Amino acid sequence: MAGYNMMRCGEFRTTYEKDTTIFPTPMSRNFAILGVILCIIAPLQIGDFSFISPAILTLMIQIGYMSIGALGLNILVGFTGQISLGHAAFFGFGAFASAWMNNDFAIPVFFSIPLAGVLTMAIGMIFGLPAARIKGLYLAIATLASQFILEDFFSRADWFTGGAAGALANPFELFGYVLSGDRKYYYVVLAYMVVMYIIAANLMRSRDGRAFVAVRDHYLSAEVMGINLTWYRVLSFGISSFYAGIAGALFAHYLEYVSVESFNLLLSIQFIGMIIIGGLGSVMGSLMGTAFMVLLPEVMQEAAGLITSTSWGNIAAITEGINFLKEMVIGASIVLFLIFEPDGLAHRWRMIKAYWKLYPFSY
Amino acid sequence: MRKLFTGLLATTTAMAFAGSALAADKILIANLADLTGPTASVSIPFTEGKKDAAAYINAHGGIAGMQIDLDTVDYGYKAPQAIGQYKKWKSAGVKVIQGWGTADTEALVGFVSRDHIPYYSASYSAHLQDPTGKSEHTKKAAPYNFFAGPSYSDGARAVIQWAAADAKEKGIAKPKFVFMGDNHPYPNAAKKAAESYAAEVGFEVGNNIVYSMKPGDFKAQCLSLKESGAQYAYLANTGGSGISLLKSCKSVGAETQFLTNVWGMDENVMKAAGTAADGVVFPMGAAAYGADVPGMKLVKEINAAGSNADHHAVHYMRGICSFYYMKEAMEWAAANGGMTGENIKKGMYQKKNWVPAGLEGVCPPGTWTAEDHRGHMNVYVYQANVKKDADPNASVSDLLKDGTIGMTKLFDAELPRKPEWLGL
Repeated sequence: MAGYNMMRCGEFRTTYEKDTTIFPTPMSRNFAILGVILCIIAPLQIGDFSFISPAILTLMIQIGYMSIGALGLNILVGFTGQISLGHAAFFGFGAFASAWMNNDFAIPVFFSIPLAGVLTMAIGMIFGLPAARIKGLYLAIATLASQFILEDFFSRADWFTGGAAGALANPFELFGYVLSGDRKYYYVVLAYMVVMYIIAANLMRSRDGRAFVAVRDHYLSAEVMGINLTWYRVLSFGISSFYAGIAGALFAHYLEYVSVESFNLLLSIQFIGMIIIGGLGSVMGSLMGTAFMVLLPEVMQEAAGLITSTSWGNIAAITEGINFLKEMVIGASIVLFLIFEPDGLAHRWRMIKAYWKLYPFSY
Repeated sequence: MRKLFTGLLATTTAMAFAGSALAADKILIANLADLTGPTASVSIPFTEGKKDAAAYINAHGGIAGMQIDLDTVDYGYKAPQAIGQYKKWKSAGVKVIQGWGTADTEALVGFVSRDHIPYYSASYSAHLQDPTGKSEHTKKAAPYNFFAGPSYSDGARAVIQWAAADAKEKGIAKPKFVFMGDNHPYPNAAKKAAESYAAEVGFEVGNNIVYSMKPGDFKAQCLSLKESGAQYAYLANTGGSGISLLKSCKSVGAETQFLTNVWGMDENVMKAAGTAADGVVFPMGAAAYGADVPGMKLVKEINAAGSNADHHAVHYMRGICSFYYMKEAMEWAAANGGMTGENIKKGMYQKKNWVPAGLEGVCPPGTWTAEDHRGHMNVYVYQANVKKDADPNASVSDLLKDGTIGMTKLFDAELPRKPEWLGL
């Protein structure tokens, strides 16, 4: 679905340049800039007044780093048509690598985050090698192995991860100036997010990006056209792992603690859930899907709190079961989403835009 | 429409102000619990003890006149989630935290000492007992960490003391000891202490055996235990996986004497594991429910104010003790310069060999000093008695009444306060 846009009547693209532009209309570009500006203003504190509460701020940070990881997986799954069930392990590798480089070699966090991305990219390309030969379900199982191999490595490699006890990560630091506290760290995540999203959007306009899409759409034709399948599949694993590594490193220095427990298979599945809900093969969809997956448990927690605070809800049967009920509702809403919104949030967003563009004559 | 809107706005504003006025005489106490994770079977009774204690205290005037706002959060035994939750609590201005597991408590040591937030854990890891960081066994100083009860290491030493005497009595020339537990900070916490102490008192120490904290089929582990020829094995996980392990070992015919820690044995484990749990030796951190001690009166009142159940597992009493030690320290702080983290910490140091008022005989007397957070050095060692496999429908209190399950006290271990044991 890449490059698919609802176009206004009478809007014709006469050059390749126009066809491959990041923002199809000036309006969409202005909206994106406005969005970033709003994100910059949101955490500002003027005296005692602040736009958003600390709790919402932590959620926004979480959406920030998770969406970078989800975007990486979307490049692999949505754009290149591969599959990975080991994305959480790469996310974790980035987290440990950044903490390790910072703790053991005194590399400032400012540099250790991108370096962790590069290290993770190398690891990802090694684990992506089976993609040269196998695909589909078989590849899924091969990447599942990478999840377990890395998880086992994390819990045994004391020198790298601190073993089962985990590793402490230092707060973000820029030339001796320590950025502690969520409000400051938020900008680090936002900066990374904007940069990583722009890189991904541009990647899809490049020769390599088109090669990824060709590999996804019809690998035989792609090969006939001279695309090196092995190279592009492995490269896709590498880029996806780079994104995961950056995201993991951001997570590590945000939480200031890294434990092997964070990076289990469930997180890998959650990443897949994010891109399916957001929309496969859509850069913005990665962000929307992540926001959905991060906010859903919080909304459910609030709802659970509301129910148990009422007089009819504060009975043993409900207060004891509410935790399980919450998990069930989260699962159910994902299933319902897949049934009624199979093309993801990105598609729904385009439909909404189209509706308003043509309002009130939407047919 | 506009009128309605203005009205709505006015009401919400009024409510918001009323809410903040109400919040002023409340004190936020964070309570971390594992209600759905691998240690849920022991965390649920422990958390219930704390919740009931908060309800009782609130009904009787609160802490220094302030009502407790106890925020209980289930983190599923995932340390990273606990750290995230800590950050939320910190921004909400929490005064003191009742924690849970070892992995998360140890990971939070640096945070709570930086932010001066007293942290009462349910982790009894000896790493948390060194407030100055002078021990070579601890990674960093833990000045704000407290827990009520003997450390895992001291508990293990006490049951090993019993095992050494038992081996002598049985005439075993060279007894063998094996440490069993998951590869996780919690079971690992006592490993070094247990193995080195067992060697010290004359055991041959075999290779440790790993079994998961999540209950499963542990016959393979039991066969290795059987092959190792060990007469004594220490189980370092919690009751949930302990049930599976005891049952698996019984079915493969391992004739080992099991020892375990405070979280490894309770009434529910005896009921579920049946005769497989018979004879297991374990330390107790507080009196059992219904025990004939003066403090049981208050425990029963606390139960009546909250969950109002027929019976509570042993962990319930330890939850109450943890909460009441904190309560008295907070009361001291309120009377001596305000309820700040520093003052609450100082409140813990004020008395020697003290028991929270009203809980005499329930909580063992403890002493904390600015140099040494080893509150309790005496360990009550108990043995589980299970006559027959219980009817699954029978309630624990009935089983206790008819004597199907029960526990007998073996001895009081008085451990020396050796400086080299601090933090080990």
